[in-house]
Amino acid sequence: MIIDTAKAYRTGGQRTARLVTPRWASRVVVYGVLAIVTTLFMLPVLWLVISTLKAEGEYIAYPVTIFPKTPQFINYYRALTIIPFFTYIGHSLFLASAYTVLVQLTSSLAAFGFARIPARGKETLFRIVLATMMVPGIVTVIPQFMVYSQIGLTGTWWPWILWGLASHPFHIFLYRQFFRSIPVELEEAAEVDGCSTFRIFWQIFIPNSWGAIAASSIFSFQWVWGDWFYPLIFLTDENTTLAVKLATGYLDPLGHRLVTPSMAAVVLYVLPLIVVFFLAQKRIVQGVVTTGLKG
Amino acid sequence: MFLNSTVSTASVARRRGLSRRRRKELAFYLFISPWILGFLSLTLIPLVLGFAISLTNYDGLNLFTVKAVGFSNYTRAVGDEEVAYALTRTAIFCLSAVPIGLIVSMVLAVMLNQDVKFRGGFRTILYIPYIIPVVAGTWAWKLMLDTNIGLVNAGLSVVQPGWTINWLADVATPTLVAYCTWAAAGGGMIIFLAGLQGIPSELREAAQIDGATAWHSFRSIVLPLLTPVIFFQLIMGLIGALQTFVQAVLLAPSGSGVSGFMQILPARPNMFLMAYDYVQIFGKQRFGYGTALLWILFALVLALTLVVFVSERFWVHYEVGGERK
Repeated sequence: MIIDTAKAYRTGGQRTARLVTPRWASRVVVYGVLAIVTTLFMLPVLWLVISTLKAEGEYIAYPVTIFPKTPQFINYYRALTIIPFFTYIGHSLFLASAYTVLVQLTSSLAAFGFARIPARGKETLFRIVLATMMVPGIVTVIPQFMVYSQIGLTGTWWPWILWGLASHPFHIFLYRQFFRSIPVELEEAAEVDGCSTFRIFWQIFIPNSWGAIAASSIFSFQWVWGDWFYPLIFLTDENTTLAVKLATGYLDPLGHRLVTPSMAAVVLYVLPLIVVFFLAQKRIVQGVVTTGLKG
Repeated sequence: MFLNSTVSTASVARRRGLSRRRRKELAFYLFISPWILGFLSLTLIPLVLGFAISLTNYDGLNLFTVKAVGFSNYTRAVGDEEVAYALTRTAIFCLSAVPIGLIVSMVLAVMLNQDVKFRGGFRTILYIPYIIPVVAGTWAWKLMLDTNIGLVNAGLSVVQPGWTINWLADVATPTLVAYCTWAAAGGGMIIFLAGLQGIPSELREAAQIDGATAWHSFRSIVLPLLTPVIFFQLIMGLIGALQTFVQAVLLAPSGSGVSGFMQILPARPNMFLMAYDYVQIFGKQRFGYGTALLWILFALVLALTLVVFVSERFWVHYEVGGERK
């Protein structure tokens, strides 16, 4: 029954369209727009990839040549060997995973409180959550940096653990919006049956929120993965993330930037995320379809 | 399945009913306790500390020469013509980048929520720019938009020989808006897709049976139910746009990549408040003045968001059955 509903839903837009315009006409418009937009979106990426296959002097050649004379696959080998690539990608992976797991847990807990548990002072506290979302990051990070350097936490990964444990207003807000759309009836029924509040959260809300969990996790993961500014100021050259190393690590013996190997490293750096997203995207956007209907 | 585990008797219900409110309250504070601790130690205390710094002449180095200067950093900001200019540019950027970003990501989500071929492929491609770290993304764009060796100007000169546009200097703000749309649309699209999937299919099916057109069912069913997501995206977009500076610095016409990041200035039209502030803090070591500007930015963001929140009741619809208050 659930599958039927989902299937009907997925084909819904299409059937509606058929009522007004011939199926092929709306198809042409949709595919046409998608083709144009995806081409535009891919262009800088493709250009980046093509540039990684050029020789160091070739990519600044004028007039512009689109394809390299001989593809320089060696740039990828150099990307992996000029710096200890796997060490730094390991740092990125650890920090991003640890932060993501912690922040999902703490944020969804807080969001459940804000979405569903009545309490005095809740509204005021939630306004504070929203207000903190509007604090420009640097406003708190610079004083934090001063404190951390006093207690010896700079140059370590602890700041990311602390940020994860502290939950994050963006994710609280996101989860709260999702939790609010889950029917109250489910919760009331569970409550009458003697379910504890935590069990309601853990066994009703979390399993019904895969869409929110997947979306929120991808966001927090890639926030750390792609971040360049915080690792730059908090970590040392040895334990920093790949993002920082990409920008500063690829130099020739005279200290000049080696552009094509660092571009190749950028491609290798982004590739795992693209694969993960491709595998997870169905899960991410499907999750919510049947939520709340299972009871 | 978990519902049939226990059957409560009337007496149990009554006993629970007595302490229910207090138990709920306790549960609430337990649930949000990580946030409370985090808020106090990582937000409130640093904020207060930052505000304290904004009342001094702190230069980031010498703690012995720090003195309190009262609100003079704030009065100075009010009289600073550069701040006025930066605020105007920030407003122009926000008013273009936020609506464009919202519309692009929503349209993409609506299209990719339909049953199209290669849907996963399209979604992934559109999401890729969002994954690419800003250092790499701006790099790719600079490579493409370079006046001499860029792909875009090479294309222009095919259309009309000798036609070049200095994208990063002469049309710096539109270029930045385009970059930010490119970089952020995928993220917005995912949020909108999740929101679209949350709309009960029965509603659209009922509309279909009643003979509603695609546009009509979008306009009167999908769009109203999507307003909480639009609201969320609007707030996040505004906050993000007001804080934009890394992109502006990295897309500066001079310099290559990030070597000497601290020295590069954004193109003049992209000298937003945050960028100007960044120059004050990292370029000129004016921590006191810089944090004062940060607090001004913070106040602006807060005021603007409050306006959006006040408007919430007029156009945002939460789903029937959800807790309204």
